[in-house]
Amino acid sequence: MNIYNFKNYYMKKNLFLILLLLILITLFPSCSKKSSLVSNQVIVGIDSDIESLNPLFSFSGYENNISELLYLKLVQSDWENKSGTLIYHSMLAKKWQWNKDSSAVTFHLRDDVNWSDGKKVTAEDVVFSFDVYSDENIQSKLYDTFDNFVLDKSKHIILDKAFVIKDPYTITIKFKKNSVPSFNYVDLPIIPKHVYEKLDRKKFAVLEKEIAPVTDGPFNFAKWDKNQDIILTANKKSFLYNPKHIQKMIFKIIPDYNSRITQLKKGEIDYMEDVRTDDLASLKSLGFIQIAPLPEREYDYIGWNNIDPVIFKKKNKFVPNKFFGDPLVRKALTFTVNRHEIIDEYLGDYGKIAFGPVAPIFKTSYAKNIKPFVFNLDSAKYYLAKAGWKDTDKDGVLDKNGLNFSFPFYITPGNPRREFASTLLKNDLKSIGINIEIKKIDLQALMPRLFSKQVDAWMLGWVVGLPLDLYMFWHSNSEASQLNFVSYKNKLVDKYLEEFKSAKAEKLKSELAKKIQILLHQDQPVTFLYWIQNLIAYNKRIKNVKITPLEPIHYSWNWSVNK
Amino acid sequence: MNKEIFLSLTKRLVTSIVVLLLMLSFLFVLLRCSPGDPTQKFISPKLSPKLALKIKESFGLDKPVLNQYKNFIVNLATGDLGISYTFRESVIKVIGKYLPFTVIFSLLSFVIQITVGFFLALYSIKRKGSWIDTFIKKFSLSIYALPSFVVGVLLVYLFSWKINIFPSSGLKSFNHDSFSFLGQLGDYTNHMILPLITLSLGGIAVFYKYLRDNLDETFNAHFVMNLRSYGVPEKEIIRRHIIPNSIGPMISVAGVELGILLSGALITEVIFGLPGMGRLAISAILGRDYPLIIGCTFVSGVLIIFSNLLADIVRAKLDKRILKGMIN
Repeated sequence: MNIYNFKNYYMKKNLFLILLLLILITLFPSCSKKSSLVSNQVIVGIDSDIESLNPLFSFSGYENNISELLYLKLVQSDWENKSGTLIYHSMLAKKWQWNKDSSAVTFHLRDDVNWSDGKKVTAEDVVFSFDVYSDENIQSKLYDTFDNFVLDKSKHIILDKAFVIKDPYTITIKFKKNSVPSFNYVDLPIIPKHVYEKLDRKKFAVLEKEIAPVTDGPFNFAKWDKNQDIILTANKKSFLYNPKHIQKMIFKIIPDYNSRITQLKKGEIDYMEDVRTDDLASLKSLGFIQIAPLPEREYDYIGWNNIDPVIFKKKNKFVPNKFFGDPLVRKALTFTVNRHEIIDEYLGDYGKIAFGPVAPIFKTSYAKNIKPFVFNLDSAKYYLAKAGWKDTDKDGVLDKNGLNFSFPFYITPGNPRREFASTLLKNDLKSIGINIEIKKIDLQALMPRLFSKQVDAWMLGWVVGLPLDLYMFWHSNSEASQLNFVSYKNKLVDKYLEEFKSAKAEKLKSELAKKIQILLHQDQPVTFLYWIQNLIAYNKRIKNVKITPLEPIHYSWNWSVNK
Repeated sequence: MNKEIFLSLTKRLVTSIVVLLLMLSFLFVLLRCSPGDPTQKFISPKLSPKLALKIKESFGLDKPVLNQYKNFIVNLATGDLGISYTFRESVIKVIGKYLPFTVIFSLLSFVIQITVGFFLALYSIKRKGSWIDTFIKKFSLSIYALPSFVVGVLLVYLFSWKINIFPSSGLKSFNHDSFSFLGQLGDYTNHMILPLITLSLGGIAVFYKYLRDNLDETFNAHFVMNLRSYGVPEKEIIRRHIIPNSIGPMISVAGVELGILLSGALITEVIFGLPGMGRLAISAILGRDYPLIIGCTFVSGVLIIFSNLLADIVRAKLDKRILKGMIN
């Protein structure tokens, strides 16, 4: 055996041993790997890690979902499909009474709810929660949203005037005079006073991170591996506990969409949201995956700046935009958007043409009689001509007073549906003599420009909140309605919005919402594109999944799993 | 000589600190000039517009940029990189949670790259001109040209979906803690095989190419022929003369590669859902978390400088001429 053969022999032998060792090590845990599929647990695939488990700082959707499984609220919101409104069930509060003029409500708390450290949940915790949520030093997600309470200058609730504790399990919440109170204003997770009361409020956000969650919800916090998974276990001491329901809930962080889909197909995860329509066929073909469209809460729109951005920047004055200041032009532009084609291409059965900001889920407020403007280039040309836009110099581009109808159009990258829609729009506009230049810009960079009203035209989307709130999007008061990016102004709409805000009767609110939709449809401050039904997919072994606009995880302690 | 080495290292250290400081200052200014706002995520229909203003104040972003810069430098001098806007924890603490994985993952990948690249180059050069040499050369070029996201997705499709022998994402199983020590080690290995292959393939091709070319050159050098004519055994020539004379450029590349690896492997981390520095840095950039962006850059900068220094030391150890060059 020469030196090379000798060396090769040993190299091969070592390689073989290494490979054998690797295979053995790899196969070691595989027996227990499958146990996660059959045990009474559900694995939810999510796209990014959460930043906080504390409901004070649960800004994102998943943070909200998880913190609401850990901390109880006084009352639990639910969705009534028939009327399309939020309703409330008892939770921490077993019953309640409103006083005669509805300016105060007395809650009778359950006396069988304990924090995970064994202490009782009492009315003191309720007051403390409202105290910290409204404290400017803490900067909770609900800061400055307690307008129906008596507040001090810093928007902090004056506790003496707002709460009366009759005994550890009875508390009265008093609202400000002439306010419009509802359970929506007490719909917040209660946190334990004895855990957080000693923290310096100015450093609260940093200090609370050091404290392990002390919870009282249907689930207990078990483990959080950063950027890996969050594990919750059923709280066996909770009055919501049912041994037949799931015992463990795992949120697995899988940033890549294709990996999430693969893992759903393999059974490595049981549930995921925001499934793309392209994947429906392959998921359905597996037979064990259930697809469920969530009721429409999200829409895309094209914003047409109603005011001139240059003059606004220089003089802070609201002067009609040279292109989109005229409602006739905006109407014409809506006629050029082929919404049917976008829906057919990207949303299929899970998209619906939008004509206003009220989602179809708000059944009594949705103005179903409005007929949306359908794609019609002749109508577009007619309204443009009526507004004075003609191709006088025969260069193929419409002009008015020497100004060519050309403008930049902003979209955010990474959304194929909007990219397709904007290309379609560009081609259709070109055919009627309007030039647009599509510009992709990061959302982080676009938003400050929208707030400062410096963008002429863009495409974005909104998720509508529950309950219905139109004021901050469409009222012309720029301080109170920062999200009115297009600077839309209609005095009648303003009046209806103010009445809507102070209305107590649901029927009156519905009537006002319909009137607002009609006016918005006439004025076309933006072009509403389509309502989107987000698709969730889950393993059919999960039972009791409730599909409402409130997202299924909202009720997940009621889920059970077929073994 | 030792004093000279010490002086050289001190000089190198001072230069590195100046470079780091300049880099961080430049980044500080760049971040303040770039569009976007760290408080943007606090603006939503559900939140009060005043909340964003309050948070801006607490981040100190309402102060003039010059004041912000002064505070930044003072804090930096005391080793304080600030509080992450997103995690509401000290930046050092946040990075401390992500760095260990990145260091282990990168070092493992680095060892694989170097080892496989080295032996493949040796194997290939000994069969110079044969079909296997040509095949490895062409194949390594193709592997180098393949982006890691393609490799990752292909591996997941093949080994995780079709053959189903490896998990498609994550660092460990949910019931990892219930395993024995060996079981836990196996669980990690099971999860790390596909990511390590994805991250290492490109590097293997690079090291293979560098080393093979250098070995080729040295194999036919005059001094090697001289040694052969004196009857020195081929094994001895390869081990003592050819490899030490060919490995220099590869070590330089290794220094750069190690630095890049230690900065995080974003694509591999995203595809396989791994908790590394790459994902942390990107989430910080997207969220405009200025202190965390600066912290990640600082750590990456230190690691790149350190790995290059390490490469130079190894080279100097192998070749005294380089040491003299470094001192001079």
